[in-house]
Amino acid sequence: MVPLQVLWAKMPQRQANATSLVAIIPIAIVAVPIYYFRKGTPQVDLHMALFLVIGSVVGAYVGARLLKYIPDRELKLVVALLLLIVGVKETVFP
Amino acid sequence: MSWGDAAAIAAGLFAGFLSGTIGIGGGLAFVPIMTIGFRMPQQLAQGTSLAAIIPTALVGGITHLRQGNVRLDAAIWMGGGGVVGAVIGALVAVDLPTSLLARLFGVFLLFSAYRIAMGARRPTVKSQADPKHSV
Repeated sequence: MVPLQVLWAKMPQRQANATSLVAIIPIAIVAVPIYYFRKGTPQVDLHMALFLVIGSVVGAYVGARLLKYIPDRELKLVVALLLLIVGVKETVFP
Repeated sequence: MSWGDAAAIAAGLFAGFLSGTIGIGGGLAFVPIMTIGFRMPQQLAQGTSLAAIIPTALVGGITHLRQGNVRLDAAIWMGGGGVVGAVIGALVAVDLPTSLLARLFGVFLLFSAYRIAMGARRPTVKSQADPKHSV
């Protein structure tokens, strides 16, 4: 969603990131019940989700507040490198 | 609280921070953390990630809304379209073989890595036009 907004809507990157974060809310809300109820065993670990949430709510708040002070470029490069390594691993040894 | 719970909180902090700063939506970090770090099957990791994303995106989204960073019209259109895609995608994903779904997710990770790296190469339009907004 973010690249679409930046390329076609000519939206600044920061605004595109913030907008997609809001758009993700209804998407996740409809997908979770499908993962939970579609199969015999629920494909949602609520215990794990709870503890991820405890960390991520704090992390998202801190991140959004510190947005202005974060070296955007360096952070993106590090994240891209991590995703490249994990992506290769998952594709080759799933 | 077990060590696993503490590790999940730490992983959540990391993923939430990335979602609040560079807007990668949490799942991109949540899912590999669970499949690789916690040895969870792909479907379970994806479903759990989606559940964890809801409150995370709510907090990050509301913070951005307050700071005036959100184009609400665009968010409504993308959210609406995304809901349709999410229903179809989730119905397909729960029935796919786990290893195939993991591979597909790996391709998505590679694409995301490329996209984020490209985004890091050039300075944003905003920071070129007005340096004081980028600090």
